[in-house]
Amino acid sequence: MKHQTIEKSVPLMAVLTLLVVLIGGIVEIVPLFYIESTIEKVEGMRPYTPLELRGRDLYIREGCYNCHSQMIRPFRDEAERYGHYSLAAESMYDHPFQWGSKRTGPDLARVGGKYSSLWHQAHMKNPRDMVPESVMPSYPWLAENELDISDIAKRMEALTMVGVPYTKEQIANAVADLKAQAIPDSDSDGLLARYGEKVSLENFDGQSDRITELDAMVAYLQMLGTLVDFSSYQAQSR
Amino acid sequence: MSEESKAIQTYDYGVVKLFSIAAIAYAVVGLLVGVILALELTFPELNGNIPYLSFGRLRPLHTSAVIFAFGGSVLFATSYYVVQRTSQARLFSDFLSKFTFWGWNLIVVSVVITYPLGLTQGKEYAEMIWPIDVFIVLVWVAYFVNFVGTLAKRKEPHIYVANWFFLSFIIVVAMLHIVNNLAIPVNFTDSYPIFSGVQDAMIQWWYAHNAVGFFLTSGFLGIMYYFVPKQAERPVYSYRLSIVHFWSLCFLYIWAGPHHLHYTALPDWASTLGATFSIMLLLPSWGGMINGIMTLSGAWHKLRTDPILRFFIISLSFYGMSTFEGPMMSIKSVNALSHYTDWTVGHVHSGALGWVAMVSFAALYHMIPRLWGTTIHSVKLINLHFWLSTIGVVIYIVAMWIAGIMQGLMWRAYDQYGNLTYSFAETVEAMHPYYLIRTIGGLVFLVGALIMVYNIWMTIANADKRATASV
Amino acid sequence: MADNKEIETTGHKWDDEEGYPLTEYNNPLPKWWLYSYYATIIFAVVYWVLYPAWPTPNGFTKGILGWTQYGQLKEEMEEGQKARKVFEEKLSSLTSQEISQDSQLLQFAISGGKTIFGDNCAPCHGNSGIGSKVGGFPTLVDDDWLFGGTLENITTTIKYGRKGQMPAHLEANGGSFSQAQVSDLTQYALSLSGRASDNAAVTRGDELYHGEASCNSCHGDHGKGSLIGKADGEPIDNSIGAPNLSDAIWLYGSDPATVEASIAKGRTGEMPSWAEDSDRAGRKLNDLAIKQVSIYVHSLGGGQ
Repeated sequence: MKHQTIEKSVPLMAVLTLLVVLIGGIVEIVPLFYIESTIEKVEGMRPYTPLELRGRDLYIREGCYNCHSQMIRPFRDEAERYGHYSLAAESMYDHPFQWGSKRTGPDLARVGGKYSSLWHQAHMKNPRDMVPESVMPSYPWLAENELDISDIAKRMEALTMVGVPYTKEQIANAVADLKAQAIPDSDSDGLLARYGEKVSLENFDGQSDRITELDAMVAYLQMLGTLVDFSSYQAQSR
Repeated sequence: MSEESKAIQTYDYGVVKLFSIAAIAYAVVGLLVGVILALELTFPELNGNIPYLSFGRLRPLHTSAVIFAFGGSVLFATSYYVVQRTSQARLFSDFLSKFTFWGWNLIVVSVVITYPLGLTQGKEYAEMIWPIDVFIVLVWVAYFVNFVGTLAKRKEPHIYVANWFFLSFIIVVAMLHIVNNLAIPVNFTDSYPIFSGVQDAMIQWWYAHNAVGFFLTSGFLGIMYYFVPKQAERPVYSYRLSIVHFWSLCFLYIWAGPHHLHYTALPDWASTLGATFSIMLLLPSWGGMINGIMTLSGAWHKLRTDPILRFFIISLSFYGMSTFEGPMMSIKSVNALSHYTDWTVGHVHSGALGWVAMVSFAALYHMIPRLWGTTIHSVKLINLHFWLSTIGVVIYIVAMWIAGIMQGLMWRAYDQYGNLTYSFAETVEAMHPYYLIRTIGGLVFLVGALIMVYNIWMTIANADKRATASV
Repeated sequence: MADNKEIETTGHKWDDEEGYPLTEYNNPLPKWWLYSYYATIIFAVVYWVLYPAWPTPNGFTKGILGWTQYGQLKEEMEEGQKARKVFEEKLSSLTSQEISQDSQLLQFAISGGKTIFGDNCAPCHGNSGIGSKVGGFPTLVDDDWLFGGTLENITTTIKYGRKGQMPAHLEANGGSFSQAQVSDLTQYALSLSGRASDNAAVTRGDELYHGEASCNSCHGDHGKGSLIGKADGEPIDNSIGAPNLSDAIWLYGSDPATVEASIAKGRTGEMPSWAEDSDRAGRKLNDLAIKQVSIYVHSLGGGQ
């Protein structure tokens, strides 16, 4: 019997096991890189601004993905509750992706712009002040901690290495752009020229004297789901 | 010199003992963190607004503690034990054995320190930051060499089926870990994965689903294939079934990842492959259950007197149930309801507590007296542990079934006018009682584990006393 | 079940330490198991023929049903629309007066509005519009409105949003008044609800209120707010949203320190705009949903 040969040889057993498991992975993963329809053609996607990027880092640090999805499924109830289903294009600059796997809290794919930043400030401080049923933890430290912006350019450089199209200019102006977005009435022309007119400029944490982690977190949340221009989007079959 | 004491001198039982004790300690830690998290979801103020105890930072600690610290230690302990005894040879290298033990524990300690600090990669079940990931590769290579090196010294030319499963577990986990964690570092703690969006999602769930498939299934089937026939003192039911279900499992499991991404921005074709391969996975999964349970045919009466065997059989039953539930949940229309809900959490725990933890407990109860050359302190306490575990799991998964299905149905409920009936906040409120019941289930399971700690403690203490007395 | 005693083991033995080695029977594959396995394979193959399944060098197999998940959504949405169409048409054509007389239509609007409100509005305005514990998010259940409480007012507010326009008055915050003047204004504001503690300050504040600070241009001569407005009760402009200072309802809190903070630093409360044609980025509501939620809010108790 043939299997007798295999089960008498460690190298044979090991190599065959590896071959057998390689097939599935290759067939499912590799085509996602070459089938062109995998990522839809859309208008409006751009890399995150430095402030939004730091907000995203904090979103990951706090493990928000453990309870919030960022992936609206193509169902009627989700369309009515959350809005247009999420596109692959919308997470093309997400290293790592944050689609999530559990909705202990609601989907956040299109939370951007939905509530005022004043609401986010109060909600982050104590979610139950705003939503009595909420089981979300409070995040009072976000408003207290100064945002670390020392390595923002390095972060953007690392992201360019994995394919996010930050320009040299964007990286060179990272700190200035970050401050311009979070400090109202500062000179934001450069930021808007580099990231587009739609970037929202606000004192996201409600504290005018400093840039805190809350500034970054709220800036990130307020951007979520707002980039793609759906007025020009045609459904694409995949 | 008796046969047994000769064996104890030949084999490296030291590292097996260390890993066994580590496994028991990590079981308690992992379960305790789980209970704390369940309580936080029930009473969110309980974290005291301390960042390090906040749900989002602690949940990865729970999953890593139970899967990698507890599950990993059990797998190291049992695979080292099994490969030595089925090869009739000492572990390949004492140095590598020690290196894997201290290395693995260093990894666990780093995880325990980094996660609460918020140092994470942000990928589920792969949250470790890149320096830890690199070190895991080192330890894993050492493990592979040590395991394969021991197999190479085997006296019986045929490799025993338990070792097929251990071998596949070691090889596949290495592949998954390396590919899923490819990243560009920013500094010593932070990095950005090289994949993004839809490709990253596919690779992440290829990894995570097969961490279930090869870490929590293959590895633990390896345990089953050694300990069940040993404990029952019966031959394995069918060698042929072993072959068919082993290779089927290896080939099919790897495809199932996309069922975690149904109705997302993953293309339809990939989703279909995930669903269909999950369905085809059902019978190969059950092959292991059949081979385990049928091994007892002719020895059913032993179940009445042997709580360890009972542990094995109930764990195989939970294994059979979870591997049935899994393919059902991977059908797109079922998944549309279950995805994002606590049903998934319940499913995972029927596998993790019912199958993985229970088969581990049974293996530890079998192995530890033999390692220390003694008998178990109290069979009655094993029996009590058995019942607490079983009741705890059942409470847990029933609560999560109800919660999950209710949640899914409430999200899509429409009134007679075609309006959504419930706001999201109302569905959160509806979960509260079930979260409380789940906490109780988890607590009961934890109490069972603590009884095991006491029982094992006394067993080892008695063994030491006996050893001193005989000198 | 097969009688194991008649079936030989494979002859291999492992781990004989304890006098009971590991051995293996070679029972045949259970028939039910094997056939079920085949059945799942057949199921999969049929599925692959029907649905999108296998990647190819330049695309993927589409499946003979032509199914896509986005096509399924389209059907679901159309199905859902059918039942709602009749209500939708009525809602857009009837006046608020007519709607309030059609009980079925009203129920349709309120039951839908309730959930839309729960998901989109309650996070700020509280369950059923009772307001939040934190200042700045008005309750919707009383009859004190900043921008008017008719159905039309409410719809406009939801559609296009509102922005708080209370400017900062203290020099340090970019205003043009000293700390002493801000304190005087605070005393005057408190006096409007009979809570002042320093009469001299009230007199000075009164002068500022109607003079240099021209608070009356928004809050009205008697501090009754922009809706009641001027001394003769004529509204100033119902898009200003300046609150009534003479009643007991305070959006940000009634204690002297909070009132002083409002004057010193100003307030920038914001109601997002929800109309699909408004220029706010992000999630919007379609006209039907806005109509439903307006009627729901109007029904909460304060509607005029």
